[in-house]
Amino acid sequence: MPGEVKVMTRPEGKGSYVRAALKGMGVTLKHMVDPHKVTQQYPEEKWELAPRMRGTHRMAVHEDGRSKCVACGLCPTVCPVNCIKLIPAEDENGERYAAVYEIDEFRCIFCGFCQEVCPVEAIHLSVHYENAEYSRERWVYDLERLCEIDHPYTALWDPADPSSE
Amino acid sequence: MYRNVKTAELVSLKIDGTEISVPPDTSVIEAAEAVGVLVPRYCYHPGIPTRPAQCRVCLVEIEGQPKLQPSCKMSVQEGMVVHTASEEARSARRSVIELLLVNHPLDCPICDAAGQCMLQDYAFETHQLASRLNEEKLVMGRDRIADDILYFADRCIICTRCVRFMREVAEDDALIVAQRGYRAYIDTFPGRVLDNPFRGNIVDVCPVGALVHEDFLFKARFWDLDQTASVCPGCSTGCNVTIDTKENQIVRLKPRHNSEVNSYWMCDHGRKHLIMSNRGLRPEAPLLRRNGKLVPTGWGDALTWVAERLREVPSGMAIVSPHAANESLFYFRRLLDRIGIAGGTFRVERGEEAILSGFPKLQLRADRAPNASGAELHGFERFDGSARSDPEGDAVAVLEDPLAELPEEWGRQASFFLYVGNRLSSAARNAHAILPVTTFAEMEGTFTNFEGRVQRFHQALQPAGLARPAWLVLARLVSLLEDDGDGGAAAPTLASEAFQVMVGDTPAMAGLEWASVGLKGARLGSTEAAVLQAQAPVEGA
Repeated sequence: MPGEVKVMTRPEGKGSYVRAALKGMGVTLKHMVDPHKVTQQYPEEKWELAPRMRGTHRMAVHEDGRSKCVACGLCPTVCPVNCIKLIPAEDENGERYAAVYEIDEFRCIFCGFCQEVCPVEAIHLSVHYENAEYSRERWVYDLERLCEIDHPYTALWDPADPSSE
Repeated sequence: MYRNVKTAELVSLKIDGTEISVPPDTSVIEAAEAVGVLVPRYCYHPGIPTRPAQCRVCLVEIEGQPKLQPSCKMSVQEGMVVHTASEEARSARRSVIELLLVNHPLDCPICDAAGQCMLQDYAFETHQLASRLNEEKLVMGRDRIADDILYFADRCIICTRCVRFMREVAEDDALIVAQRGYRAYIDTFPGRVLDNPFRGNIVDVCPVGALVHEDFLFKARFWDLDQTASVCPGCSTGCNVTIDTKENQIVRLKPRHNSEVNSYWMCDHGRKHLIMSNRGLRPEAPLLRRNGKLVPTGWGDALTWVAERLREVPSGMAIVSPHAANESLFYFRRLLDRIGIAGGTFRVERGEEAILSGFPKLQLRADRAPNASGAELHGFERFDGSARSDPEGDAVAVLEDPLAELPEEWGRQASFFLYVGNRLSSAARNAHAILPVTTFAEMEGTFTNFEGRVQRFHQALQPAGLARPAWLVLARLVSLLEDDGDGGAAAPTLASEAFQVMVGDTPAMAGLEWASVGLKGARLGSTEAAVLQAQAPVEGA
């Protein structure tokens, strides 16, 4: 019924806050003696990342520094957010290569489909998340930049067993 | 579809449980197609006469026959019972595919045929997931067998479709199978060059990615292409084609089967011609000359302004293009009638002719434009002179002709120069009004080919900027001119409406229907004759 308030009586002997305050101070004192860390001093101290974490892309390269990408077009096809741009072309040896290969890391959702679908194990995700840029354009990584990235590969891909056999 | 139909008697047979009656001399593979069973095939192609039955992938089980039979070679017989997917047939097919895959490089990720490859399809169908081969694959490399065609020997399955196309359809024995067995490959005959004007078809008949056209090499993946049924504008034959587009650019043309026009083929001129149309400077908004300068305007203002000026035009000349659609030419004629300009000329680019010997109906004709017949039908005359005379003080109206060959100052003195077109040449820039219209690939409409066959084309591309179909612009202009305060007649807004108005007003086109023209086209003469016959008063009735 509106306007009617249920009044509860305070239990005898439990009305004092002294006991609770002392208990809280006890916790504080305990932490003074045993400095159990809760706050992490980022960026001086960093998280230990899971080896299977999916982060920033990197492109695998041949020994001579060329990217391993054969411009097959499967990653832009499978990408659910259309963040990969690829224009294939023919190089001087008549081989197919990526004349333009760009990944918009800002738009990417790091699902890892591109890595999964790649037939030549060229594009990978890496265990890395610390990216910051002054402009949005800088978030579009071109092929050169992707090739230079050297963060560890995500453990979703095992270099010892590249085709997951 | 059926070869050499000798008698009207039909043969009944049963394919995968379905009864069908077909003319004798039909092959089992064709009869199966008629009941909706697609038997795998490599060496068989409906447009190539011989059936060597050498790929062995179309083997089917026929009751009463001791062994499996190649369905492409086997003629139907009365009472035949065919099983295309019996265990025996499928296991034979699986073995054939496995053998074909022994040396196939499986470079599908970089192969241009991936996605429309019959080896991919049948390997998937027969569930070939892993190879049992432990040896190294044979590597054969690639070869340029024509100026613009590459041959990837590793991918080739030696179905010899290309060799037989050249020998039997093009009747130009330029290709051979060199070497034998697993070393066999396709090559040009020693001392011969593959320069036939119909050579591009060998790329189309190739069931795998062994023959690749240079113009398409590494351009696009098949699944990225949008395909639109259209008509080739390369010459007056009007081959039925499919335009493959990607990101609003024409990537390639493929022939579309039409037994009345081009069978399964088309010429190389047509293939190259349209890809060039991606280039060139296009007007993207109506441009009106104000104080001596061309100023971009919206369509409403532009049409009102042009209609006002056209009312004052006393006399003048008209130029049209044989690349314009029938509907555009029709409404241009209406506009000219309205403003009192009679006649009008068009100029056709001429080139060398070429005939596909095995299907003589298909020719690269001298008239390198799709709609010269349509222009003649609407009362425009062929112009054969070297250069058009300057209109000087007269008015001039131009439809889609690029005016590319004319001097820079052409038309500068004209009293009114209306340019309705899609290319900005230097002469066209002298116009008082430039109304941007679409190319044929950006609109729906019809062309009339050399023998009076009206064929529809569909919209493959988005128009450039504010460009609109010419018939839409011209019909609106006509209704503005006819407006005596009552709003004028309603202008059509759909290509089908414009087509029906045109048919109703053009006696030669009587009887045509937008729907019945369909994807295969309709002959003018035949429909006209049929309609006249139907309308003829019955004697003595």
